[in-house]
Amino acid sequence: MNRISIIRAQAIFMSPAVLAATLLILPPLLYVFYTSVYGPALSLAAYGQVLTSKLFRQTLTTTLVVAGLSSLLSLLLGFVVALHLARQPARRRAFLTVLVLLPFWTSVLVKCFAFTVILGREGIINSMLSWIFGIKIQLPLVLNMVGLLVGMTNFLIPLVVLPVLASLLAIDSAIYRAAAIMGAKPARIFWTVTLPMSLPGLLAGLLSIFVMSLGAFIVPSLLGGPQDQMLSSLVAFYNREVLDWQKASAISVVLLGMVFIFAAPLALWRRRKLKA
Amino acid sequence: MRDETVLGRDTAHAIALTGISKMYGLVTALHPTDLSVDKGEFLTLLGPSGSGKTTLLNLIAGAIGPTTGTIFLDGRDITQMPPRDRGIGMVFQNYALMPHMTVFDNVAYPLRARRQPASTIRAKVTEALERVGLRGFEDRKPRQLSGGQQQRVGIARCIVYSPAIIMMDEPLGALDKNLREQLQSEIKRLHKELGTTIIYVTHDQEEALNMSDRICLMSAGQITQLGTPDELYFQPRNRFVAEFIGESNLISGRTNGNGQLMIAGNRSIPVPAGGWTDGAELLVMVRPERVQICDMDEPVKEGSNVLSGEIGTTSFVGGMTRVTVQTENGLNMTARMVSGRAESRPQAGARVRVCWSSSDMVVLET
Repeated sequence: MNRISIIRAQAIFMSPAVLAATLLILPPLLYVFYTSVYGPALSLAAYGQVLTSKLFRQTLTTTLVVAGLSSLLSLLLGFVVALHLARQPARRRAFLTVLVLLPFWTSVLVKCFAFTVILGREGIINSMLSWIFGIKIQLPLVLNMVGLLVGMTNFLIPLVVLPVLASLLAIDSAIYRAAAIMGAKPARIFWTVTLPMSLPGLLAGLLSIFVMSLGAFIVPSLLGGPQDQMLSSLVAFYNREVLDWQKASAISVVLLGMVFIFAAPLALWRRRKLKA
Repeated sequence: MRDETVLGRDTAHAIALTGISKMYGLVTALHPTDLSVDKGEFLTLLGPSGSGKTTLLNLIAGAIGPTTGTIFLDGRDITQMPPRDRGIGMVFQNYALMPHMTVFDNVAYPLRARRQPASTIRAKVTEALERVGLRGFEDRKPRQLSGGQQQRVGIARCIVYSPAIIMMDEPLGALDKNLREQLQSEIKRLHKELGTTIIYVTHDQEEALNMSDRICLMSAGQITQLGTPDELYFQPRNRFVAEFIGESNLISGRTNGNGQLMIAGNRSIPVPAGGWTDGAELLVMVRPERVQICDMDEPVKEGSNVLSGEIGTTSFVGGMTRVTVQTENGLNMTARMVSGRAESRPQAGARVRVCWSSSDMVVLET
């Protein structure tokens, strides 16, 4: 196939997706952007008010902290899972991978309600602790930062396991055998081979779940406390409670901008990897 | 009862395997095998894929555990020892270098695992790279090197910690012919210089003949013949060895009482030496380069076997020309001769005689 026919084939195969994305996503986004600058008159006033408001800055901090912490936690826990999966024989690994994906296929809403049952004041964990210690224990595990992080981490782990597993499986097993035969103990093999060679996969995984968690809405609404609300909740608040669509739109645009800033290195890295 | 422990415990051998075997479920990868390798010896494990040579290598390396038997390294029982404590070196077919490390760090890896001081590491790495001709490449990454250079790093990484035994698992399998021959002689030179014991795995018989002190030819999970390259080539034990190493003409026949071997087409040739009973079925081998092609009127030497026939094919492969002859009594004989110019080479269809000396015949086990 020559160059032109390759380009033509690409155009034919990609056009439905591009068309759908453009028609279904771009107009609403443009409308959001339009709403954010067009109040009574065309102005950036809404952005000014939003960026100087204390509520916005608090929520922004919470968003970054929750997204950062839950991403790091998920990466740590997901890495351990991926390490275990990578060591299994192929068939067993396929079965275990399905188990990892099962919660991922379950609705976020259902999982959040399940967590309120597990973590609530009269929930499974508190009841068990009460039974073990023989006194009434009611640890505040939900509707606060703890509940929020548990919920977010549970949501994100499957998303980090798969890319990290892929990068672990890409390591030639002969390298491990070589390291062992040269006298390296398991800990040294981990620090000198496994970790550095899966680092690109880990970083890509971290960045992608961080970007994804920036826009979290359902989990913080159901498992977080009033202090732990994230930017999406703020958008909903201005949109539905205050009915200030202009500010709601301005916050959306800021959130979108943040996603772009963090997603750009990821896209660049992927492109570099494709070229290599 | 055979005293296996004493057999392995003597320290004259670099490595000794007694009754070692490996089963995967009901599949036998290696039948119970005894093998000992002398200190400083270059031993090649040769065989087709699935013959058990890689299994044997992995058992010695400790990558897999044996089903039965004991492995002695310099008189010590290492059967249960993890690979990292065995102090064995290994060179891999696909190099198995750490792609994220420089050449220096790759070669320094086994020394760092042994927590040697930085100054020692620098000196030893420099010396090892010197030996494989890679000084000045310290800061390169493996992917910036050619295949041959990468395998040199693999060898440097191995000799740098002076292991008692170096195992090489088809180390030249991924390289092209010229480079392979060049590295063959480099490995031989290193073996001579360092005096290390080397266990070399290959399926390339020429490589095995060229490099080894002894060859251990394996098939179907067993050692078929263990001996010097010379023995394997000129005294193959059976048909498998004869056909795996080099080319061979096989002639089967039955002895009669008069010292003659009755072969195809009711022809007879003298029976090779060895007290054969009358009526014994023998399989005899002659190497093609010991077979000569003579014109019909050329006088033949005393003690030669002569069959007349017609040239089938002639293939000119550089220094040697391979000629097949369909003999009148129905045999297909192959001869190998030093090539001449096209005019002087035998032409297909020509009537010729093939002759070979009785002393070049080897009787194979059937």
